[in-house]
Amino acid sequence: MKYLAIILLGLITFASCQKSIDIDLNEANPVVVIEANFTAEDSTVRVLITETSNFFSGDEEPTIDDAVVTITNQAGVSQQVPFVSEGLYTLENYIPEFNSTYTMTVFANGVTYTATCDMLPVIDQQGIIFDSIPPGPFSGDGGYVVAVTYQDPPEEGNFTSTHLVRNGKELKKLNDIVLNDDQLTNGNLVIRPLFVKFFDLGDTVEIELRTINEKIHDYYVELSSLTDPNSAAPANPDYLWENRALGFFNAYPSSRQSVVIQ
Amino acid sequence: MKYLSALIILFAVSTSFAQTYTISGTLKDSTNGEDMFGGSVIVKELSNTGATVNSYGFYSLTLEKGNYTLMYRSAGYETKEIKINLVEDMSFDVELALPKDVQEMEDVVVTGEKENENITSSGMNVTKFDPKDIETIPVIFGEKDIMKTLQLTPGVKTAGEGNSGFFVRGGGADQNLVLLDEAVVYNASHLLGFFSVFNSDAVKDVALYKSGIPAEYGGRASSVMDVKMKDGNSKNFGVSGGIGLISSRLAVEGPIVKDKGSFILSGRRSYLDLFLKLSKDENIRNTKLYFYDMNMKANYKISKKDRIFLSGYFGRDNFGFGDQFGFDWGNATGTIRYNRIITDKLFSNTSVIFSNYDYRFTIGTGEDAFGVNSSIQDWNVKQDFSWFANSNNTLKFGVNGMHHTFKPGALTGGNESFNEFILDSRYGIEFGAYVQNEQKLGPRINIMYGLRYSGFDLVGSDKYEFDDDGDVTSVDTTLGRWESLSFHHGLEPRFSMSYVISENNSIKLGYNRNLQYLHQLSNSTTSSPTDVWVPSSNNIKPQIGDQIALGYYQNLKKNTYRISTEIYYKALQNQIDYRNGADLVLNDQVEGELVFGKGRAYGLELLLEKKKGKFTGWISYTLSRSLRQFDDINDGNEFSARQDRIHDISVVLMYKITKNLALAGTFIYYTGDAVTFPSGKYEVNGNVIPLFTERNGYRMPDYHRADIGLTWYLKDKKRFEHNLNFSIYNLYSRENAYTISFEENASGDIEALQTALFKMVPSITYNFKIK
Repeated sequence: MKYLAIILLGLITFASCQKSIDIDLNEANPVVVIEANFTAEDSTVRVLITETSNFFSGDEEPTIDDAVVTITNQAGVSQQVPFVSEGLYTLENYIPEFNSTYTMTVFANGVTYTATCDMLPVIDQQGIIFDSIPPGPFSGDGGYVVAVTYQDPPEEGNFTSTHLVRNGKELKKLNDIVLNDDQLTNGNLVIRPLFVKFFDLGDTVEIELRTINEKIHDYYVELSSLTDPNSAAPANPDYLWENRALGFFNAYPSSRQSVVIQ
Repeated sequence: MKYLSALIILFAVSTSFAQTYTISGTLKDSTNGEDMFGGSVIVKELSNTGATVNSYGFYSLTLEKGNYTLMYRSAGYETKEIKINLVEDMSFDVELALPKDVQEMEDVVVTGEKENENITSSGMNVTKFDPKDIETIPVIFGEKDIMKTLQLTPGVKTAGEGNSGFFVRGGGADQNLVLLDEAVVYNASHLLGFFSVFNSDAVKDVALYKSGIPAEYGGRASSVMDVKMKDGNSKNFGVSGGIGLISSRLAVEGPIVKDKGSFILSGRRSYLDLFLKLSKDENIRNTKLYFYDMNMKANYKISKKDRIFLSGYFGRDNFGFGDQFGFDWGNATGTIRYNRIITDKLFSNTSVIFSNYDYRFTIGTGEDAFGVNSSIQDWNVKQDFSWFANSNNTLKFGVNGMHHTFKPGALTGGNESFNEFILDSRYGIEFGAYVQNEQKLGPRINIMYGLRYSGFDLVGSDKYEFDDDGDVTSVDTTLGRWESLSFHHGLEPRFSMSYVISENNSIKLGYNRNLQYLHQLSNSTTSSPTDVWVPSSNNIKPQIGDQIALGYYQNLKKNTYRISTEIYYKALQNQIDYRNGADLVLNDQVEGELVFGKGRAYGLELLLEKKKGKFTGWISYTLSRSLRQFDDINDGNEFSARQDRIHDISVVLMYKITKNLALAGTFIYYTGDAVTFPSGKYEVNGNVIPLFTERNGYRMPDYHRADIGLTWYLKDKKRFEHNLNFSIYNLYSRENAYTISFEENASGDIEALQTALFKMVPSITYNFKIK
């Protein structure tokens, strides 16, 4: 719909124009932001704790360096995630147990924030397919598009996210992450072209396929809707942290495949 | 019951027993034989005695034996006087002429023209337009559009730049009942809202009820926009049309049998895509983008008392790119109507009405192609009676029953990684029954009171239950095709009253309750063809609108100037909003994405109109608020609705320079709509994410714009009229903000970017008419 609107508006607009304007925005009280990842792939917990800042300030977000971060497994065994530097807390060699629930607790600025996430089993990729796309209204100058393939598990309610790495560099933009639910593809061999990026001949493309919880999937959907200027009522994503810190706790396994486009 | 007994008592009190006779008939336009809806007949000798024409052009008036002078009048027409000696029941079909022919002979004042209908009528004032009254008003691309002209009146707000969508008195865009010859139009716009579906060549009359809504209308919480198609000229054949920048129109009309039946057939097609073919860019050349619509209507008088009408509309938008992508959508409506004058006091209308709206997507070619489609379809049977009981009471009563089929969406085709996905259809039965009386209580007081009972039964659909977070807790798929899933019903009292202080000023009061059983889901700022309609169910309660309005009306200088002042307060219950990141398309659990709350709106509306002379027009000002409160949004605090536009001014001026030249200009100024902007930011995985603190806590920049139009009536031949219309939209190229987005610029700073849609847009249209 977004594309349709843009194209229609573009076509019937005789003199549509954009300009930069000044807008006076209020300054909200700082809110704690916790970005916590437990990656099964390298058995590491990484937590970045920052605070929100003034919207137009070009500065880096202020970090919180004196928080107490603990991760607890399903059996109730807790382990502290030690502080490293500039808001980052890291715990290495933390061996994941699949199909089990992890709880993370962060004590920062006098408040305890808690979130849980299930570590789900990995979904293996079946290889990467790529194809060239001619130039067109939806494809600009065209190029090569890669497709992730995997066997969706038979039960309903599997969620994945795909992350692209081009020539060794991860594409971190929200728009480059493709989210999948299995509403339309349950139990099938999924061949999902990732139209978010066009590659050139000679590029080495790596796809990371993460198995994620439904709430993480929804969180990313909500985040990406914030960047749509046609959204009638943008709002913060639902809080995943108890006591209302922003951010998320994502425990996930990954499968990786790569291909050279030639 | 309380209301019903009050009604019976009021009516009984006013019945008299003297020897009386009835005068009845229809009121018509003398030039083309079209029925007139807005007229009345008044007895000159008896002040405040008369009858209003019903919505099918029929009137009936009962008087005691005697000599009378009957004055037939309608806004914009010359009043006609007929002297009668009433000793038996009489029937007159009266034809009124346009005063234009007289005025063109150098401003002769039309005698007997006392246009103070706005003062003496009982209902709250209805905004009415005849397309020919507003043909000189400049509009974007020169495409005459009755919906855009309505937006220049108080209390009616445009949904956005160049958009034909509208909000009435703080209500939502889906709270307007849009009717075309009694059929509901579910999506009244073309090309994402830039054009309305109403081809002005085919439209006879449009009435917008903002308050004191008559009991015969039901189904939407805020307003009724009743569009009537032309019946076709019953005297002569004619062809008319226009060639414009964006589209062309052609209409053919004429008698089937002279003065007994007529037809009209009109069509319109846009041809933007033909220009696209000239582009050097292959992508643009392959793009398909057009809309068309067709209106047809025929009527035939079977006998002096029986008349049958057939009318239909079909319109479609088409958008596509080569064979890779196609998207089309549109409405179709059809109405069969049978009118019968049962007695000279009792008029009956029976209608069978069909309405359909659907959209289709197709993506890809060959084996991989897949499609999505969705539709809503209605069959409606309606019976209405008008009973002109006596000169003081006009009753209307009737019933209707409607069957809705909702097809929320189906995805078909595609390669083997996709499963076919078909959302189950839902079915609903909606009905209404009403009775209403328009009564004169002495020379100064007119009242209209009515009661509507309506209900909605959702049948034969899967029943979903949700928890507080919108997650499904149970699904019941066992219901049979006609088994009830949920039933909602309620009473809708309607009341309005006028107190005539003198023949130049009056006070009016109106109250109405409206129930709305269908809801349109849309979470984007532009109207989209995929905005889906959903029925009330076990999860969605009907929306309820209660409104009270008070108005003061004054006419000055022999009705040359009209001033109206209205204030209103509207309370809305069971309003709908969306959870974060709600997925409204192809979602069988869409009800779980909704949250419910309440709303209120209030305001002051001022209108100064000049109706007569070379120089006509109006100035409209609205001061209003529209607020919402949802437990799940904005921490439960009340917030501004998006259409909460505080000040809104429109100026419309039309000046007849000479017999052949007419100049018109409009100026619009309004303060910014409510909008949500961020109040901070943070980072997730290196992406800057805006932090929001309150819903709609900011304002868009103020909007203003002037348009100008010049209509040049070229030399008329006996059977040929034509004119050229030049217009400039946004005369001083004001860049009004359409959207504001926040983006990182080249140097890594975030800046606010304003997008404006249209700077100056000149256009030219040629219109002709062969009589």
